[in-house]
Amino acid sequence: MVVLNKKAFRLPRVEKENFILLLRLGLEYSREQGTFCVASYNNIEKLTDTIAEILNVDDVTFAQTCILCGKDFPCTGCKYADSCTTKNLPFHCVCPQCLREGKTLE
Amino acid sequence: MKEDLLWVEKYRPKKISDVIGNEEAKAAFVEWLKSKRRSKKAVLLYGPPGVGKTTIVNAAANEFGFKVIEMNASDTRSEKAIQAVAGPATAFVALDTFSSESKGNILFMDEVDGIAGNEDRGGVSAIVKIVEESRVPVIMAANDPDLEKLRPLKKVSTLVRFQQVRIPLIIAMLRKISHREHIEAEFEALERIAQNSGGDVRSAINDLQSLAEASKTLTLQDTVTLSARNRDISMDETLRRYFSAKSLLEASILLSRSSVDYDDLLMAVGDNLPRRYSDPEELAEAYDFVSRADMFRGRIGTENWHLLKYFYNSMSEAAAVSPESYKPFSFISPPIRIITLFWTKSKRTMLDCICGKIGQRCHVSRASAKQDFVPYVKIMLTKKITEPVVSWLGLEPDEVEFLTKMNKF
Repeated sequence: MVVLNKKAFRLPRVEKENFILLLRLGLEYSREQGTFCVASYNNIEKLTDTIAEILNVDDVTFAQTCILCGKDFPCTGCKYADSCTTKNLPFHCVCPQCLREGKTLE
Repeated sequence: MKEDLLWVEKYRPKKISDVIGNEEAKAAFVEWLKSKRRSKKAVLLYGPPGVGKTTIVNAAANEFGFKVIEMNASDTRSEKAIQAVAGPATAFVALDTFSSESKGNILFMDEVDGIAGNEDRGGVSAIVKIVEESRVPVIMAANDPDLEKLRPLKKVSTLVRFQQVRIPLIIAMLRKISHREHIEAEFEALERIAQNSGGDVRSAINDLQSLAEASKTLTLQDTVTLSARNRDISMDETLRRYFSAKSLLEASILLSRSSVDYDDLLMAVGDNLPRRYSDPEELAEAYDFVSRADMFRGRIGTENWHLLKYFYNSMSEAAAVSPESYKPFSFISPPIRIITLFWTKSKRTMLDCICGKIGQRCHVSRASAKQDFVPYVKIMLTKKITEPVVSWLGLEPDEVEFLTKMNKF
């Protein structure tokens, strides 16, 4: 599984059709930095499938942001990952460390 | 009557930031709501129950100063009813929008996927028309947007998808409530409640309350009694658990989970109370609570859903008049009134048809024909003045027979 940062990630150079498809599926491209970011979330499943195809990997997921500490973290360390039905969206969750430390919502 | 009996009401988010989970959906909805030039005048929030669709609408309205005009699945949503409620609400911009406090109305139609059947005929097309002509934001919520009948609504709406709330988020939420309620809760117990909830925050809070409110402690052992979440508790099951409830709280939580129609429930409880309470004083007391619940149900109408907790309270109090006297009994279900309506349907249809014919001939409504004309037509028919009356009204032989025998029914 490849974990990507939703705010900025790089992809190998893609064909024009694939590039257009990625933008249509909700990515934005920054010419200055040469990075993609997720701008729309409505086609997230198709988007991850397309990126997985481009990267030639089985699975792609985006890093989550912890709503308690604000840090980005991957789902791979989460003990509920197997039963989680919402792996791609939302992009916000509680990181294992905050959960362990017993932090609560404000 | 206890204020804020249910924690789901007590901890209902007042601000958008208080709604847990679905950050992207929340952002998309708020962006749509704040936008001055919306590409589509309506938004359809869709996703499983208990993930915050209704809550975010109320929280956003509260935060941005909108007044919510709500139509729920429990209302009849035929073309006529929708036009009657939503038409005036969406056709004008309220004067108070020019003040700084209010931004006017938003029309919220909850559970639009529940529009079905003859009583809601024309409902979807009426909503589409409302959306196209509306001068205020129209918000809809649905559990299953893939239904064929909702296709026209999807065309005119911005779609915002809500997902199940994740287990760690629910645990954090339960922890917050436990702290505020001074409950010493084991992490494993909260984890078990969150896992059992199936991503439904409302159910998780109800479970926490039912398990920990009285004892102020919660251990993993306490959660053994948790049953797998059943979203669709039938009328029979609701009645069984309602009448056997050992406390006010147990009955109240059951009612908040049950999916039965409030009006059907009122009728069913009314029918079954004499079987439940043999002591006349207890029965009278229970009926007092049911009548109070009926009053609240009437006041809830189509938009005052904040009164629902009082409806639940009164209904629960009717169940908890004397918990110790409960003995299993067989229920009358469905309610007697509904059974009667079922058995008399053909007769009512026949009478309606006759009234239609009389109304057409005498230029009166069906209701007037029924009240002012049918008794006299019946007298004429029984006095054997049949031929001219029958031919003038165009009555069929079976309709004549029906009218002459009508007092026997």
